[in-house]
Amino acid sequence: MLLLLPVAVEAQENAPRHNINIREVTITGHRPMKEIGVQKTQFDSVVLKENIALSMADVLTFNSSIFVKSYGRATLSTVAFRGTSPSHTQVTWNDMRINSPMLGMTDFSMIPSYFIDDASLLHGTSSVNETGGGLGGLVKLGTRPAQNEGFGVQYIQGIGSFHTYDEFLRLTYGNDHWQTSTRVVYSSSKNDFKYRNRDKKENIYDDEMNIIGSYYPTERNKHASFKDFHLLQEVYYNTGKGDRFGLNAWYIGSNRELPMLTTDYLDDMFFENRQREQTLRSVLSWDHLRRTWKSGLKLGYIHTWMAYDNKEDRGNGDLSATRSRSCIDTFFAKAEGEFTPSEKWLFSGNVTMHYHDASNYQYWETVSSSGESTMVQPGERYDKGRLELSGAVSAKWRPIERFGMSLVLREEVYGGDWTPLIPAFFVDGVISKRGNVVAKASISRNFRFPTLNDLYFLPGGNVNLKKESGWSYDAGVSFEVGRNGSYALKGSANWFDSHIDDWIIWLPTVKGFFSPRNLKKVHAYGVETSLDLNILLSPEWQLEVGSTFSWTPSINEGDKFSAGDRSVGKQLPYVPEYSSTVSGRLAWRNWSLGYKWCYYSRRYTMTSNENTLTGYLPPYYMNNLSLEKVLKFKWADLSLKGAVNNLFDEEYLSVLSRPMPGINFEFFIGITPKWGKKHK
Amino acid sequence: MRSAQPVSGSAFFIFFCQNMFSRIKRYTSWLTLATVLLTGCMEWDYGTIEDFNPDVKPGEVTTPGGSSDMEGWVSGDGLFVVNEGNFQSGTATLSYYDTKSKKVENEVFKRANGFKLGDVAQSMVIRKNIGWVVVNNSHVVFAIDINTFKEVGRITNLPSPRYMHFLSDEKAYITQLWDNRILIVNPKTYSITGEIVCPDMTTDRGSTEQMVQYGKYLFVNCWSYQRRILKIDTETDKVVGELEVGIQPSSLVVDKNGKLWTATDGGYEGSIFGYEAPSLYRIDAETFTIEKQFTFDLDDSLTELQTNSAGDKLYWINGDVWCMGIDDKRPPLRPFLKSRDTKYYGLTINPLNDEVYVADAIDYEQQGIIYRYSPSGELVDQFYVGIIPGGFCWR
Repeated sequence: MLLLLPVAVEAQENAPRHNINIREVTITGHRPMKEIGVQKTQFDSVVLKENIALSMADVLTFNSSIFVKSYGRATLSTVAFRGTSPSHTQVTWNDMRINSPMLGMTDFSMIPSYFIDDASLLHGTSSVNETGGGLGGLVKLGTRPAQNEGFGVQYIQGIGSFHTYDEFLRLTYGNDHWQTSTRVVYSSSKNDFKYRNRDKKENIYDDEMNIIGSYYPTERNKHASFKDFHLLQEVYYNTGKGDRFGLNAWYIGSNRELPMLTTDYLDDMFFENRQREQTLRSVLSWDHLRRTWKSGLKLGYIHTWMAYDNKEDRGNGDLSATRSRSCIDTFFAKAEGEFTPSEKWLFSGNVTMHYHDASNYQYWETVSSSGESTMVQPGERYDKGRLELSGAVSAKWRPIERFGMSLVLREEVYGGDWTPLIPAFFVDGVISKRGNVVAKASISRNFRFPTLNDLYFLPGGNVNLKKESGWSYDAGVSFEVGRNGSYALKGSANWFDSHIDDWIIWLPTVKGFFSPRNLKKVHAYGVETSLDLNILLSPEWQLEVGSTFSWTPSINEGDKFSAGDRSVGKQLPYVPEYSSTVSGRLAWRNWSLGYKWCYYSRRYTMTSNENTLTGYLPPYYMNNLSLEKVLKFKWADLSLKGAVNNLFDEEYLSVLSRPMPGINFEFFIGITPKWGKKHK
Repeated sequence: MRSAQPVSGSAFFIFFCQNMFSRIKRYTSWLTLATVLLTGCMEWDYGTIEDFNPDVKPGEVTTPGGSSDMEGWVSGDGLFVVNEGNFQSGTATLSYYDTKSKKVENEVFKRANGFKLGDVAQSMVIRKNIGWVVVNNSHVVFAIDINTFKEVGRITNLPSPRYMHFLSDEKAYITQLWDNRILIVNPKTYSITGEIVCPDMTTDRGSTEQMVQYGKYLFVNCWSYQRRILKIDTETDKVVGELEVGIQPSSLVVDKNGKLWTATDGGYEGSIFGYEAPSLYRIDAETFTIEKQFTFDLDDSLTELQTNSAGDKLYWINGDVWCMGIDDKRPPLRPFLKSRDTKYYGLTINPLNDEVYVADAIDYEQQGIIYRYSPSGELVDQFYVGIIPGGFCWR
């Protein structure tokens, strides 16, 4: 089978990093003061750049314990930690929160991994170190200087199944003080994959319209095309005397059709659903470093314009359009400082401000056959602003090398609503130096404020909502063993337990629309484990394997809605109780074979966990394979890569009625010229 | 070999890891192979097709006494429950409840046909042993044999169907949400044959809902962003009259005296269309004028208006389930069935014995429950159906 695979070439960010030469295996075992007791998953650059065309949703799916819920290929993908909801996952980019202030969640299908140099997860209580509101945790994303000397260019082109075309370009320049980088991604696809639609049957009729046979049709994912453009500009200046300045600006222009449900019988020629987005995120930063203290200041701005258009040809010459628009301006500022009076103490503090100005409105339009457009009716509209302040101070103490503790106190105010003091306490200790066996534990309280849509959306917004609140407890053990230049094995097992009160859910009303209410009380608990092996099999062979396994019961412990309610004590819908990932990479000289596997257990679609035909999504395994090769020439590095997604052509669903693609292929070719560099 | 000295937990762990490492190294090739062989094995149950009532031939007429004239006939022996399901999840289902045996069968459409009913099932009507199930967001009406639940045909490409009303074997109307047209269909050929364009109604904010017939005229309430009752001549398929009532009339029935009754929900706070106290109206079908209006509180919302078998009592949902005589001077002070934290969503009255069936959608994300009450309000039975049970159809 391997021989049949398209042989490929590596397509990576820059030559040294993308080079798949055997890397030396090293052991660290280092515990930074800042991470006392912290449960953190750090993604290395190999994972982030494993496939240049991946979104962060894909990266998290195969390399972490968090649950990624995907509505389809290049369609909304949300992530959730430990059985919580997507809005309980805070997401920052260069320290600026990028969760939608209207919806609370983040669409990870809109974040190309090509733009992320630094990604980590802070699980549960650990997120309080960085931000409030992360009842599930924090996804921390960032960029960093390429640290290149002189000019650098990298260009990669990709072609894939379903008329998918990708272009990647990176221009870099660097010297002792300056580092600049310009990254461009343009992805387009017809995205019209075929799938067997098990939710429908096509009938065969006789002349008198009697059904004489039926079959499951093979359909295409109709009208699901997308064109996504991303531009990331970075400029860094390092004085060399302890001051660093940075500017990051990321523009997104996206135009995506929203595909039909598998249960839709409308002729697709007569309607269109389209979502467009234009977003600019920018952060200006200054870091001031001294021997015992450092300070930082960040200023940021986000502008997001989103449009949803539904057009229908009613067959009478008129085209009716329902249009929804939302516009958000966010102003961001953060000041932080750290003071290390001795090796035993670290004090830090930060204050973060986000101000959101958000508007949302709808209108209805009719376009006549002559093309004349007439605004028919304006719809509901809201236009609201909210100031969100969050401040934290922390003290970290490591009286002896083997033991440390940390206390964080955070306070947040959204609008005029203050949280009680949010405490978080962390402790860790080295059980064995020889195996770097470390035990960790932490406890924290946390709150999440309602989103702007929760409060003000028309119709349905509820200004009387309370904050969600919760207590979380974590405890775990990790180890790291190995021999430099030979192998490294590390692993961790963590238990967590959290209680969330006043969980906000949107429920239908008798007037035909949805409205949010504080209702559920949820108990999420379980175990997350990880195991990573990096082994040099011979001077030319290297194997890296990373794996995770999670057990995440997320139980509704609220009161019954009414006497007939059977949801109490049951797993929340769309939260798998078990999930697991394995990713491996086998490298030989300039070849690299990658394999990724993930598993999600049964997800119930009803709060009462019924095992009815429409009550659950069956478990699935997903397998991806890739093969890459780097060709080194004097004038450039050429990279070739082929990838096979959904290797065993699984029929699967992540969300009901949203089709997912079967086996599909991608091929990339990349070039990194060695202009102005000494040929190696 | 057992160690002679006590081994600490951590030391043992390292010893274990290093041993394991040598083994791992030895068997790396096997591990790699095993990883590659982690093949998918999706546990996907597409549902085997079940035969309900196998002794009844498809299409066979099963009226008591062997009458072939089914028009307007209901037996009261069985109740179809149309479960909306969650919007955009394709979880609409159809349940069937036998009133005598008190047995319920859920998901009968999928079990009988091997595929889903679709997204947001809205209503169902029966004509001559064929049930017509309107599935709004799947843009389809399925015709099923009411004995076997097997599909016998379908009308597709409907922009946003809500309710279906038969005028003859070859002609029916289908109302639509967010459209300004009522579609005319030929059920025999499963085809759309024409349309009735509603006056002063834009394509996008138009809405036509429930239909009742009085002679050759058909009356329809216009709900979403509307406040009218339309009168349609079924011979010419033209709107021949319209009557303004309150904001968003949600349902429409006719009583024993040929009087139409409609109830409004009053809209909602912040709506561009307005927000007012809902009302219950009595309308004379002959003169098409309002005869009575009962106004409720601003935060009330009246839905699911029904009549009993004699047509002399009205039932509706307004948080609780309410009942009043058609000649009463005012609505009652106390409800017929009090809400017990229930989210009453659907309501029907057994046309044979006036038993009251009311649906509790609970949290709208699990199987709803149907409570069956005697005409005097005593609980007779209760049974679970599908997600958001909203529509009923008596067999």
